[in-house]
Amino acid sequence: MADKKKRRRAASSSDSESDPLHFKSKLKPDSSILQTLTALKSASASSSSSRPASLSSLNLPTAFREVSDLPLSSVQSTIESLALSLAHSILAGHGFSFSVPSRASANQLYVPELDRIVLKDKSSSRPFASVASVRKTTITARILQLIHQLSLKNIHVTKRDLFYTDVKLFQDQSQSDSILDDVSCILGCTRSSLNVVASEKGVVVGRLIFSDNGDMIDCTKMGMGGKAIPPNIDRVADMQSDALFILLVEKDAAYMRLAEDRFYNRFPCIIVTAKGQPDVATRLFLRKMKNELKLPVLALVDSDPYGLKILSVYGCGSKNMSYDSANLTTPDIKWLGVRPSDLDKYKIPEQCRLPMTETDIKTGKDLLEEDFVKKNPGWVEELNLMVKSKQKAEIQALSSFGFQYLTEVYLPLKLQQKDWL
Amino acid sequence: MEVSGDSPAESNKSKSKSKTPRKPKDAQLLKQKSPAEFFADNKNIAGFDNPGKCLYTTVRELVENALDSAEAIAELPVIEITIEEIGRNKFNSMIGLANHERVDEALYDDFETDKAREKRLAKEARFQETQAKNAALGKKVKAPTAFKPTKSREASYYRVTCKDNGRGMPHDDIPNMFGRVLSGTKYGLKQTRGKFGLGAKMALIWSKMSTGLPIEIFSSMKGHTFSSFCRLDIDIHRNIPHIHVHEKRENHERWHGAEIQIVIEGNWTTYRSKILHYMRQMAVITPYAQFLFKFLSESPDKNMSVRFARRTDIMPPAPLETKYHPSAVDLLLIKRLIAETSKQNLLQFLQHEFVNVGKSHAERLIGEMGPDFSPKMAVKSLTSQQIVRIHQLFRQAKFDDPSGDCLSPAGEYNLRLGIIKELHPDMVATYSGSAQVFEGHPFIVEAGLSLGGKDVKQGLNVFRFANRIPLLFEQGADVVTRTAVKRINWSNYKINQAQDKIGVFVSIVSTKIPFKGTGKEYIGDDISEIASAVKTAIQQCCIQLKSKIVKRIQAREQQERKRSLNKYIPNATSAIYEILKEMSSSHALKRRRYEGKDAELLKQVSTQIVTEGTLREKLAQHVEQVDYEMALEYATQAGVNEEPREDIFIPPLEAEYECTELFSPIFVFRLVA
Repeated sequence: MADKKKRRRAASSSDSESDPLHFKSKLKPDSSILQTLTALKSASASSSSSRPASLSSLNLPTAFREVSDLPLSSVQSTIESLALSLAHSILAGHGFSFSVPSRASANQLYVPELDRIVLKDKSSSRPFASVASVRKTTITARILQLIHQLSLKNIHVTKRDLFYTDVKLFQDQSQSDSILDDVSCILGCTRSSLNVVASEKGVVVGRLIFSDNGDMIDCTKMGMGGKAIPPNIDRVADMQSDALFILLVEKDAAYMRLAEDRFYNRFPCIIVTAKGQPDVATRLFLRKMKNELKLPVLALVDSDPYGLKILSVYGCGSKNMSYDSANLTTPDIKWLGVRPSDLDKYKIPEQCRLPMTETDIKTGKDLLEEDFVKKNPGWVEELNLMVKSKQKAEIQALSSFGFQYLTEVYLPLKLQQKDWL
Repeated sequence: MEVSGDSPAESNKSKSKSKTPRKPKDAQLLKQKSPAEFFADNKNIAGFDNPGKCLYTTVRELVENALDSAEAIAELPVIEITIEEIGRNKFNSMIGLANHERVDEALYDDFETDKAREKRLAKEARFQETQAKNAALGKKVKAPTAFKPTKSREASYYRVTCKDNGRGMPHDDIPNMFGRVLSGTKYGLKQTRGKFGLGAKMALIWSKMSTGLPIEIFSSMKGHTFSSFCRLDIDIHRNIPHIHVHEKRENHERWHGAEIQIVIEGNWTTYRSKILHYMRQMAVITPYAQFLFKFLSESPDKNMSVRFARRTDIMPPAPLETKYHPSAVDLLLIKRLIAETSKQNLLQFLQHEFVNVGKSHAERLIGEMGPDFSPKMAVKSLTSQQIVRIHQLFRQAKFDDPSGDCLSPAGEYNLRLGIIKELHPDMVATYSGSAQVFEGHPFIVEAGLSLGGKDVKQGLNVFRFANRIPLLFEQGADVVTRTAVKRINWSNYKINQAQDKIGVFVSIVSTKIPFKGTGKEYIGDDISEIASAVKTAIQQCCIQLKSKIVKRIQAREQQERKRSLNKYIPNATSAIYEILKEMSSSHALKRRRYEGKDAELLKQVSTQIVTEGTLREKLAQHVEQVDYEMALEYATQAGVNEEPREDIFIPPLEAEYECTELFSPIFVFRLVA
């Protein structure tokens, strides 16, 4: 009853105030928004022209393990010399063991100067003659052999392919996948240089032209679904674009909306999504775009701890792949939305907000302890607000004002107000 | 109900009804309810929800009274409980009702209409057809399932008898002890099983509601030459006993104790397992008692008799009556204490009616109360405002926590014996926490943890006890279940929550158990003091078991090490050999050059001097050697000890020693004089 009264009073006092679409009237013509975007682009181009420092140049006290792209032949020869040493050890009656860099969280370090997570150089021994490690050791040997074959034949396979070559031994794809990461650590090369790729997950649409294995692709002419990001980054070359920024989207649904409304034609941009947690290919692709095209990256994620987590994976790398963070991370991603403060600012109705579960709140509080969040005071503030209000919302919450509210009002207004962190 | 006989109880009831003339139109008429009427209307409060539950609760109340009674005179309890099924005919003859043949069949609920019969016959025919077909095809013929007639709603009746060797009851008190609701001997502040003097009376009310038959009580006290016999029921409207027979009989065998017999409606089929669980859990928490449970049916094949033998003759000391803690009293209670106290002045009152208030402390408190108060003022003259002031101060002031001395936990020793006796687990650990406080009432949490055992399901089996009574219902919301399921990380202790047979036993004793809900069936999860105490207790047990489990895993690993290592040899060697083979062929084609011993190795591979078999053999040798070394190391570490032997308990046959007993929570010293 009281609620109703309140609403009525609000309606009578200022009609425009209660109407969510009044935000539309605040919009300036597109040309002025484009001006701000151009300014953003040039600022970003000048800032990224200075090459970011590499790990070795920092002279940090601890040693780190980083991998690099290796040509196929050197992968092959590394495997071969490893196999020889294993064979010698077996023949000498010592059994064999691998020295595997530890990827546990205790061995990870966030380096603020680089703005990414790196792997320290602690490693553990994985002997064959121990019940605890015999299984992993055997799988490691088997994967090494399979990679060796790939390098001999110079072909690419997916992780799934790899798993199916010896299902009986691997039992579960997660096991072969995790050993694959171990193998790239052992060999000191990126996973893509092992010629093993994940299946396509990410998609891109918008003002981008690049060549995929020699074929020119125009991402404005790929239909609504966009172009699947090639799992093998080596195939991608010759990037050209007249976009002003890159829009990173967490969800497939929001991506669909943006693509169908041809948002990139109104504001020249490239729209990318990995449909949730990003895979290696999408991260590599984003990094390549950012480095070659010198565009600012704006992110549109859910207003929940996982949205921020996804943002952090693009920005600072995941713990699982920290050995390759140098190649996988895209620094300086701006958090455009949907931010906890937007919920009230854009008057997202109560029924579209969700209460955070206990695990959500815990994840949020854990994130507050993470270095990559702490370095950005704006993010800390937003996250504090989220944990305090105990409310989350998905990008789709904006659809409560109409399906196209996202593309027609919310994003343009955000861009106009330079409302990113 | 069709049992409206002319038993005295029934006639009494109808008489009393007719006495109060009904005035349906006069809604303003002020009515009063006796406590007995209230509980008859709301019998679910006391756990009498449906006939099945009523049977369960009746058994439970009688058993608990019997235990209390035996423990009160420090006698090792021997309790016999019998449930006897009473058939319809027998019941009718008991109440003196002639058997009626049904005349108008269609009047009854279980009447089978023509249509229903057709349907059933068709179904049976179809079933027989398939059966014949299966038999012709040589398939295994399913045991023909008997077609049960549609379940009738007819009530079934049981005579519940409980006999104990307890204190017995004073001859003159018997009627009031059974025929007056909310009268009892357990009202003081003390850890007791029952509390409100409700149990046996509720059973009587239920028997009156369902069968109309009175309760029969035999009782004799120690040293008395006579035994009492009483047959009575309860006048629900006036909450007073209605006595049929009350007489003294001869007591030749010098028996003491009580035997209570009551006939109620019940449901054995659905509550059978609950009742048996209850008895078993009771046997766990009171291993010093001997229970004999019998079920007598009309058809002898359903008869059963379970004996829960005594495993120890050490009883926990009887709980002491204690005084209130200042932070646990309310206004009403202060007034009652003032009315009841024998102390004259305020100082003495504070000092003697409460725990943890010493003389100097009481003086300071009185000083703090204000100028209206003085130590010497007469306590009975306090005005209500002054009492409010005292109450306020009690709320705000700091007092030491009450000690747990007044409590009587089962004790680790008894809990452990009980678990071993009833579950025969592979491993068991127990822990007894120190006394803690919730709202001025001390409580002690004890926990036991068992792994394996007979008749134990896989996964978590939670056994809950409050003041040494098993709790069987509303398991899901209980603090113990929640803690065990959600807050204990079992894998930390090498326990597999889904596969291992885990028994979690938690016993909480307190002067006031904070039950949730009306049925006194569970303790809520919202009291952080209790929740954390429960968690600690279970964790302590886990820690004790962990080292044992680890040792066992090591021993198993020891046995299986060679086998599990050898299993992987072919996979590992073939992987390495494949690489070598590829290399040797490219080496032979001079595509790649190797030097020194590498080249030599590759040459050996290409000339088949080193084959996969060689690698396999060498690796197997290495495994053999490692296994030998590890076995040696294990042996030196573990020593040559065998598994520790389980202690056995031999109850004394005849011997009656004069002995002094020294109690400790985990063992008892008995010094034979």
